[in-house]
Amino acid sequence: MTLAHPRRIAAIILGATFAVAACGGSATPEPSGVPGPGVPDIEIPTGVSGSLSVSGSSTVEPISAAVAEFLAESNPDFSYAVEGPGTGDGFARFCAGETDISDASRAIRAAEAQICADNGIEFAELRIAYDGLSVLTSVDNDAIACLSFADIYALVGPESQGFGSWADAATIASELGSQTTLPDADLTITGPGEESGTFDSFVELVIAPIAEERGQDETTRPDYTSSANDNVIVEGITGSPTSFGWVGLAFAEENADVVKEIAISAEPNGECVEPSAGTVSDGSYPISRPLFIYVNTAKAAENPAVAAYVDFYLAEGTIAAVLERVPYVNLPAEELEATRTAWEAR
Amino acid sequence: MTIPSVTSVAVQRSLARQGRDWPGLVFALLLLGAMLLTLVILVILIVDQLTRGLPVFQERGVDFLTSGLSSDPAKAGVAQGIVGSLVIGLLVAILCFPLGILTAVYLEEYAGDNWITRFISINIRNLAGVPSIVYGLLGLTVFVALFGILGFPNNGRNILAGALTLTALILPIVIITSAEALRSVPLSLREGGYGAGATRWQVVRQLVLPAARPGILTGTILALARALGETAPLLLAGAVLGTFSTSGSVQDVLTGPYTVLPMTVYDWSRRPQDEFRELTSAAIIVLLVLTLFFNALAIFLRNRYQKQW
Amino acid sequence: MATQAPTAGPPERHLAGSRSRRSRETAIGRFFLAAALVSIAITAFIVLTVAEQAVEFLLAIDPGQLVADGWFPRRGMFDIATLVIGTLVVTVIAMVIAGPIGLLSAIYLAEYASPRVRGVVKPVLEVLAGIPSVVLGFFALTFINPTIIQALVPGAKGFNFAAAAVAVGVLTIPLIASVSEDAMRAVPAPLREASYGLGARRVTTATRVVVPAAISGIVAAMVLGISRAIGETMVVAIAAGASGGSLRSLDPFEPGQTMTAAMASLATGSDQVVGDNAAFQSLFFVGLLLFAMTLLLNVIGDTFVRRVRQSY
Repeated sequence: MTLAHPRRIAAIILGATFAVAACGGSATPEPSGVPGPGVPDIEIPTGVSGSLSVSGSSTVEPISAAVAEFLAESNPDFSYAVEGPGTGDGFARFCAGETDISDASRAIRAAEAQICADNGIEFAELRIAYDGLSVLTSVDNDAIACLSFADIYALVGPESQGFGSWADAATIASELGSQTTLPDADLTITGPGEESGTFDSFVELVIAPIAEERGQDETTRPDYTSSANDNVIVEGITGSPTSFGWVGLAFAEENADVVKEIAISAEPNGECVEPSAGTVSDGSYPISRPLFIYVNTAKAAENPAVAAYVDFYLAEGTIAAVLERVPYVNLPAEELEATRTAWEAR
Repeated sequence: MTIPSVTSVAVQRSLARQGRDWPGLVFALLLLGAMLLTLVILVILIVDQLTRGLPVFQERGVDFLTSGLSSDPAKAGVAQGIVGSLVIGLLVAILCFPLGILTAVYLEEYAGDNWITRFISINIRNLAGVPSIVYGLLGLTVFVALFGILGFPNNGRNILAGALTLTALILPIVIITSAEALRSVPLSLREGGYGAGATRWQVVRQLVLPAARPGILTGTILALARALGETAPLLLAGAVLGTFSTSGSVQDVLTGPYTVLPMTVYDWSRRPQDEFRELTSAAIIVLLVLTLFFNALAIFLRNRYQKQW
Repeated sequence: MATQAPTAGPPERHLAGSRSRRSRETAIGRFFLAAALVSIAITAFIVLTVAEQAVEFLLAIDPGQLVADGWFPRRGMFDIATLVIGTLVVTVIAMVIAGPIGLLSAIYLAEYASPRVRGVVKPVLEVLAGIPSVVLGFFALTFINPTIIQALVPGAKGFNFAAAAVAVGVLTIPLIASVSEDAMRAVPAPLREASYGLGARRVTTATRVVVPAAISGIVAAMVLGISRAIGETMVVAIAAGASGGSLRSLDPFEPGQTMTAAMASLATGSDQVVGDNAAFQSLFFVGLLLFAMTLLLNVIGDTFVRRVRQSY
């Protein structure tokens, strides 16, 4: 039997596979020896075991994933899965009883809560951080420095389908009282789609109030490039000199060198506020939304891993340590305390 | 089949031509160009991914291969993808190869020339052309649902369901290539066996299959390489797009959340952080090594065992 | 698949041996048949499950929703023409690249190349065929688009159909090349020899004799290539961008969706994986259409292949 004999080769491959699967199977995220910049200076509980499944918002995903990773580093018997298909999709799975925790970049809707109730799922709503929404245009777009909610509604609201130029929105904008000069330039829009909580927050904070006043559908125009992939949105912004789009503040900051964040004023012709962690934190930036996790209380009671995870999540310093890496905004101390109380009281 | 008259005119014309054969030369160059273009594209692709991805290996070395998924690009690695790919490859091989070869044996050795046989053949050929994502639909509604109903953890989204889905995907290909390998075994070999009084099964097992083994082996390894590179069906069949970690027990590997290398590539390609771009290329390098290994193995075996009948 | 030539088989009944030997043989035969029937079962499952949900979808929505400005499943806009046009745009561009290059490569391999060159080029084609589609998708996004598309067409966006289509074309080249080459090599030597014997040059023989003789196989190769291009998912999902929805458009330099990419985005969004809302069920509807399209194409392709076999 030469080495190249088919049977031998098959045996070698089989053996190698088993060997790798056996030792590679214990693939918890290996710390690279020395505590790197990612390992926080906080106390991590030990002795946690069990498995956890988290799904939902891709905005909150990095936070939940980081908390899980920190916990797993000291607890080899703790296993988890964190995914980010979107806030709405996360709720769908959560209310079907498939996940333990749902990440959300908006509050749960009445209809969704009803589905949970119908399926006998009780949950605790826990606010964990704030995030701003950045409205973006190309770095080459010098004509636009500030937009009001009225301008934004005129550009991407439900009545704006077919507007190919910024100037097309001038009529609606002036109807709403805005005096912003909208240039006659190509309006290429890229933004998140309806599966995304970021989309929902944008609609809820910017579009819906005006839409309701004017008796329109509370949604955006459909004719834009919609993608759940923030890279696509950023690419869309950089791809045209007079582009328009919106993403979470954290992702905008990641790409600050290639996009321009527009200052926003809630009122037409009002005071323009630049988006930043500071302005979101002190409430002056008008497009900011809380980030939540929703925890299935029944599963928290019967699965020690879930309870331990949430305890660690809300513990002093955990979220702050994570947010050093991901630029969302910390809750003020009283609000974090209120979240803890809500969790204890479940 | 007769050569059309326009051909004979062309032949006459070329015979009567004086001087250098410019059109022929141009044509030959065109062909060479087309072929070189293919070669060049392949080389550019490999070089491009190597240049983007090698820095990761330089910085982190083996750590990249032994770390699991992480939201932190400095710590993320392909270990879980590699394990998942190898396990799913093993499962697919176990499930698919016997079934595929047995079906091929049936079609080539046992089946009569009747409507059932024709129906099965047509069906298999059609299945081979169905897009892989449609098999994902099958995986979701049948396999994942089955495991879910049976009470498996993680709502049935486990590597077993993924393996079954990929098995269904490559089964037609395995059947077709095995059948071709069987068909290429000369009739005289079989006739000799029957002449000596062997039963059909004895002829198949002791004469035909050993003779067709190289061809079957090549076909099955290529099909496996294809399965290892598939992503779309597993999107639906439950692979994780995110991060996860399991305790590493065999039970967790088989019934818990899983991912495969191409899925890791897909996930990382969608992340906004710049660092994930080079991680994606590094993962691609690992994936290419894996699939090209199997492709090379198949080609090597085929060349080695090329027999002239 | 059963050969047309006379098959060998065990001799007459009275030579077939003892009853136990015969019954064992029959049992083994039935066992093989059972294995073969698994493939039928797979098709049945695919068709049944996909069709069931697709029909539920069609019943749940208002037919008017199937014609809209674009494919935005979560808004209830299910303009199927958008996706079909997207698939067509990508397929046409891909075939424009893969058809000529694949065919010319095949002619070179079959008629011009020395065995040594064949020994190098065939493995290269097979390696190209073995590259996973996610790799090609990422390559399209990070290399093909910036370096080629945006260089030629400055207005092209960062994610667009053209880059994805070029990558799909690259993926399809090996398939077309190998099937065409097989068809050309199957042309009997005497046909070539007659042509050379009359003094024809290689180019004349290749283009006027061999290619027309192998035309059925070449057409089959093209049809298979089209089928492959239609079914390609990951390249478009990564490089063509629009995953939430897209407007009906013929512009290949804008982001967009094909049928397969739309399915992938519904899958990754996984809106209610075990639910019955219309957005998720549209996944099955598109899947059924895709299944039917590729089925039709494969039947057409097979007809051509069988015609090749019968000619000789």
